[in-house]
Amino acid sequence: MNDLSFLNEMEKASGEKISGCYQCYRCTIGCPVVADMDLYPHRVIRYIVLGERERVLTSKTIWTCLQCVTCSVRCPNDIDIAHVFDALRKIAVKEQKEAETDTWKFDQYFMDSVKKHGRLHEIETVLRYKIEKKDFFGDAKMGMGMFIKGRMGILPHNIKDRKGLKEMFKRLEDKKIGG
Amino acid sequence: MRTLTYYPGCSLKTSSKFYETSIREVFSAYDIGLKELDDWSCCGASAAHTINETIAHALVARNLSLAEQENYPLFAPCSACYNRSKITNERLRADKELRDEVNRANEPLKCLGTLEVKNIIEVLSEYAGVERIARKIAYDLSGLKVVPYYGCVLTRIMNMETFDDKENPTSMDTLLWATGAEVAEWPFKMECCGASKTLTNKETTLRLSSSIMDMAITMGADAIVTPCPLCQLNLDILPYLGRGARNLPVLFLSEIFELALFGKLSGAGSHIIPVDEAIKKVIKVKTINTYEQRKNNGDD
Repeated sequence: MNDLSFLNEMEKASGEKISGCYQCYRCTIGCPVVADMDLYPHRVIRYIVLGERERVLTSKTIWTCLQCVTCSVRCPNDIDIAHVFDALRKIAVKEQKEAETDTWKFDQYFMDSVKKHGRLHEIETVLRYKIEKKDFFGDAKMGMGMFIKGRMGILPHNIKDRKGLKEMFKRLEDKKIGG
Repeated sequence: MRTLTYYPGCSLKTSSKFYETSIREVFSAYDIGLKELDDWSCCGASAAHTINETIAHALVARNLSLAEQENYPLFAPCSACYNRSKITNERLRADKELRDEVNRANEPLKCLGTLEVKNIIEVLSEYAGVERIARKIAYDLSGLKVVPYYGCVLTRIMNMETFDDKENPTSMDTLLWATGAEVAEWPFKMECCGASKTLTNKETTLRLSSSIMDMAITMGADAIVTPCPLCQLNLDILPYLGRGARNLPVLFLSEIFELALFGKLSGAGSHIIPVDEAIKKVIKVKTINTYEQRKNNGDD
């Protein structure tokens, strides 16, 4: 443990006291998607302390996370582990080290839609994502089914003050990544 | 008549429109008035905080500042909206630096973080109240066995007191009990449905939602009841996600109230998994199972 720079970087980026972890494994034991992870959550935390920057930033784990926050709520040291993963995602994307790009891409399309209309335009967001993935018919049946049941709108819901909303995005977007 | 500022969120205007209709019908039966927040915008849900946390707070703060001018408590029926609103509200109140930054971005709007933010369980518990709920029952739900499914984000909120236990909530159980339905104790109250991975990783949502459905079937339930529109949708689209096994209807909390009050569901046609079997269990007897009688029978 010679190099604490990554630990310091992550404690600052997430605002969480990562060094408080004493490896009780409660986060890992409670995680509903741990089977799909390449690094167990408690190990991610430990690797941050040990300064294993590359291993953590390139891990699949931070993208497998569902942000269900079970780990965070159970942590006896009040470390919001899901929030640490969220902070890791931002750094991984900034440095183009992300192990999986789908989650970020979808979240970004989601935000583009909100920025444009003020409210999420579901079908536009989904179609943009599907086109990007070149997956045109994968969920067509589901889409039709939802449409028939009246659960998929066609037109966007625009708010009145879109100008003010866009202004807010502009003021904050380039300022810093992550906040 | 008590009034709340109503923040629908995107889901209640699109994929879960019938949830809004249901809430309005039930609330008016208990004299709870809803005044929809003018020109509200998306709360950013699960996406915004991943992309940029300050923008996530600013998006919520925009709605909070509009609601602060109204002077009623804010009612957010969607669990994600409630979760994000609650977090930003508390953070902005406590953290002046963040509050100033967010308010600068949202100018001329100004958010103080002084609002009371409430979810549907809180509103029904506090504004209608268990006793009034039980008194108003017009249909017998005792033949309907339900499992209460809270979902992740309603009570799992870090760094603050939540309205119910974070990992073993019981407030919705109490409400359901008050409607006269049979409430099963089960271990999957808080299990994750797969959340927003439905598009990016269908297999995860299928696996997680399917195991919730399986557990509900094992418990001998007739329906799963949830207050969260995302949980409801993920479970309701299970047939489309590729689940071949049997599915139980997934009802919104307010829909159980609809059954108890009116004996029917206004949004029955919007459910993907058919709800007819569950409704049939309700209408058979015209109420008599009133609060007083159950009390006299020693049922409580």
